[in-house]
Amino acid sequence: MSAARFVLRLGEPRYPAQLAETPDPPKVLYGVGDPSALAPGLAIVGARRATPYGLRCARLFAGWAGSRGMPVISGAAIGCDREAHLAAFDAGGPTVAVLGCGPDVDYPRRSADLLGCLRSHHAVVSECPFGQQPARWAFVRRNRIIAGLARAVLVVEAGLPSGTFSTADAALDAGRDVLAVPGSVFSPESRGSNRLIRQGAFPVTDVAELAQFLGVEGTVPADAAPVQDDTLRALGADPMRPDDLARALGIDIVDTARTLGALEAAGLVARYSDGRYGLR
Amino acid sequence: MQATISTTTLTGVDAIPVEVQADVSPGLPVFGIVGLADTAVQEARDRVRAAVRAAGFDFPNARVIVNLAPAPLRKHGTGFDLPIALAILCATGQIPSAAFASVSAVGELGLDGSVRQVPGMLAHAISATRAERDLLGPAAAHAVVGAVPQLRYRAVDSISRIKAGLPETAAGAIERAPASRDPAVDLADIAGHAAAKRGLEIAAAGRHNLLLIGPPGSGKTMLARALCGILPVLSDTERLESALVHSVAGLDPRPSLDGVRPFRSPHHSCSIAGLVGGGTPPRPGEMSLAHHGVLFLDELPEFGPGALQALRQPMEEGVITLVRAQGAVRYPARVTVVAAMNPCPCGYAGDPHKQCRCAPGAVARYSARIGGPLYDRMDLTMRVDRIDPGLIIEHAPAASASEAARGRVTEALRFASARRPSAIRTQLEPSARRLLESAARATHLSGRAVTRVLRVARTIADLESSEAVRPEHVGEALSYRSWDAS
Repeated sequence: MSAARFVLRLGEPRYPAQLAETPDPPKVLYGVGDPSALAPGLAIVGARRATPYGLRCARLFAGWAGSRGMPVISGAAIGCDREAHLAAFDAGGPTVAVLGCGPDVDYPRRSADLLGCLRSHHAVVSECPFGQQPARWAFVRRNRIIAGLARAVLVVEAGLPSGTFSTADAALDAGRDVLAVPGSVFSPESRGSNRLIRQGAFPVTDVAELAQFLGVEGTVPADAAPVQDDTLRALGADPMRPDDLARALGIDIVDTARTLGALEAAGLVARYSDGRYGLR
Repeated sequence: MQATISTTTLTGVDAIPVEVQADVSPGLPVFGIVGLADTAVQEARDRVRAAVRAAGFDFPNARVIVNLAPAPLRKHGTGFDLPIALAILCATGQIPSAAFASVSAVGELGLDGSVRQVPGMLAHAISATRAERDLLGPAAAHAVVGAVPQLRYRAVDSISRIKAGLPETAAGAIERAPASRDPAVDLADIAGHAAAKRGLEIAAAGRHNLLLIGPPGSGKTMLARALCGILPVLSDTERLESALVHSVAGLDPRPSLDGVRPFRSPHHSCSIAGLVGGGTPPRPGEMSLAHHGVLFLDELPEFGPGALQALRQPMEEGVITLVRAQGAVRYPARVTVVAAMNPCPCGYAGDPHKQCRCAPGAVARYSARIGGPLYDRMDLTMRVDRIDPGLIIEHAPAASASEAARGRVTEALRFASARRPSAIRTQLEPSARRLLESAARATHLSGRAVTRVLRVARTIADLESSEAVRPEHVGEALSYRSWDAS
């Protein structure tokens, strides 16, 4: 499928209405793909250095939005952004990437595959003209477009300090709701999202709450059965290193390693890059 | 008049026979050495002249030519001093040639006639026994060469002693302590780190290379040192092989002879030659000095890329071959590599208490410095984190945990060598195979990573004296896989 370029000017009928309402809309919106994907959607943002927990949350909520046909808007960065785009795409829903460079420029490079896919099936937009190379300031500015295109902004995982806060601020400026997924109080990667909740962001703990908040009708996937396994229960509360897990459960380190290996093979837990294990 | 004395010269860890021929003929008084002698050998002229006179002999006032045969072989070092002096003394009839016919002589001379040690005395001794010759050498080296079985050593502390004839053979092999084992760090000294200690045991039992990743001050170096203490005692051949490398490098071989496993931890500024050997004349590198022991590479990504890549081939083959214009030199290098690195340039990625300040890309670039092929040779990868200070304070070191671990490792090695050798996949129970397959799918394991997991699982089964590789062995092995694999 050929990726068509489009240019939307503020005031034109095709210019996204929800974006035009915001206090500082871009005068011109450059894009590649299908402009009809720019309907009011759900922005899902989170840390680039995401934990499996953050990725799992991004997948869950983006997948749900995708299945409801609600556009998922994000920044095509590595980590949570990427996971959200992919989950929405897999669920068959529209998904839009907003870049800080020309919409035809592959940046970040590692997302080139994702961007190519979005350009041919959905849309990649930017206020930077075609061919413009990435600039640091442009990425901060584009956060207001992410917020502006969406009805609400969901922060799935954010540490402290985090660039995700700039998107949350932009959402408040644009009069959008900010939602956040709470994380473990011990996890540095969730400190930012937990703080957002303390500052008044709407906490999202399951899909039903999100659906209700957004006023979307329809069935909601049932939650998984409560976990029986001691190891899974311990890891569900807080990702842990094998040493700490063995101590917490009072079992031998060899047995712990063996259990973790088996659970990982079964796809129930995942090993983080820092050596901790958490629920997948 | 002519005379010939046998000696040996080092290439690699071998000493090869060389004949020192002296010709003393009437003519202008000159003293020349021919036969591709390097500077140190050329300087022998001044040492020999002074030493011969100081010992009460006459230095011939005639034309003295010394040839080192075979002439095309390059000769290095000061060990030729003694044989050159003896050849001249024989040629001038000051000592009887016949007495030295079955002797190989090696030693450096002082101006006062004293005979001094040279590097590689063990290699010279082994070569002499192989050629069924007596070795005539410095008295100071007796403690070391005494370790070579069947060596007849004639010790001399000064060439003035030669006047009285060839020295008697010294008493045979010197008794050594059976196994002096004093690991610098006992497992019991290390608080916490239960998983890493288990990893050390597996590494020791399977001779697996180990990569420790953790923030500064998390105990990586201590763990590496503890590995030496749980490796089985050096066997007699291993002692001699290890001592030989130390001897050739001019280092004290006695700890190796006493059964202490070598532990080498070169600094990351180490050159390629320093790490794998090199130079003119070639000298063994750190990797060979760690032969049969542990090579600890702290701050692995800080090593030069050339140095890291040079490690790959010897890690696989257990031997280093340096090819030079004059020919190839081989140094043994069967080592267990323990590498340690920080998780990221700042060192704190994943630390529960301290925030990492690195950009997301910087972390990946940092670990990419090591390169895939080297990662592939690291069978076990373990994350080592700083432990709770409370644990350290409460920690009461038990008598020794390394002793027991060494027992299990020795037993596992014995079991592994006794079990019938067959492909791992035939020893893998069907349920274990299913577990590995689903894990490979769930975590996107590469083919090489699967091989490593299997290798480690085999060792874990050996630790339990189990012929079959069961699912729990595979499960445990999975938890030691590297991060680049998925």
